[in-house]
Amino acid sequence: MAVTGERFAQGMTYDEYKAQMTRNQEKFEENERTVQLKPGDLEALKKGPKRNVLVLTEDWCGDALANVPILGRLAKETGRFDIRVFLRDQHEDLTSQYMNGEFKSIPVFAFFDDSFREIGRWIERPASVTERRKKRRAEVFASDPRFGSPDSPVDQLPETVRADLMAALQAMRDEMRPFADGEVVREIRELVTKAP
Amino acid sequence: MNAPVRVRITYCAECGYEPQTLELAGALMREFGTRLAAIELIPWSDGTFDVRVGDKLVHSMMRDGGFPDPTDVAIAIHEVAAG
Repeated sequence: MAVTGERFAQGMTYDEYKAQMTRNQEKFEENERTVQLKPGDLEALKKGPKRNVLVLTEDWCGDALANVPILGRLAKETGRFDIRVFLRDQHEDLTSQYMNGEFKSIPVFAFFDDSFREIGRWIERPASVTERRKKRRAEVFASDPRFGSPDSPVDQLPETVRADLMAALQAMRDEMRPFADGEVVREIRELVTKAP
Repeated sequence: MNAPVRVRITYCAECGYEPQTLELAGALMREFGTRLAAIELIPWSDGTFDVRVGDKLVHSMMRDGGFPDPTDVAIAIHEVAAG
């Protein structure tokens, strides 16, 4: 079933979504505040048409925690996105329309024009980020023989090693953030500005 | 059952898998009571939901997909305990 303007309007605004979050709200706000946006991207988006953006998300999801705030900042900085947020697990009619293959991956950003013709969709995270994260993760495991193999269950590691591994993986994620954020913005910009 | 066995549940804390973790742990507590040596809950990341009974990995979300049926884990506990 196509998304209509009426269905779209039933979603939460971006600020309403933030207000009802039951977890990760502080980190979400921090991610929104600290994302680095390039002037060229903002100018390109400002010149484009205004878009309605349907967001499917949940507040516990790591990819949503990383990427929904980027969309929110882009909306605030450019004034070109009207966002309505739906919780994935409460809106099966929408979730079934935006499957990532067999998975209910989130976040989903579905972009519509004024007539609610879908002009494109963006799901979960850029493939380039997945690829680089996999490579960097392998490097983290290779950096310390105590970490074992990336494919081995971590519960077999001693607690101190597990803590060191978690810290190393978190450092890797922090280090990758500028690249990951930049890729999200690049893909959204391409999707929005290339559409007729 | 013979010797009590230890159960380890490694779950993705970033993904919000706490309800499924507690549901499984609760089901095993109710079924086995003092016949388990321990139920250990390990918070992790990366979409993990692994269940180890003794030395045997009886469920892995990466390997098997989804969450395990508590009944299947209980069967695995009986098998491991029986040696």
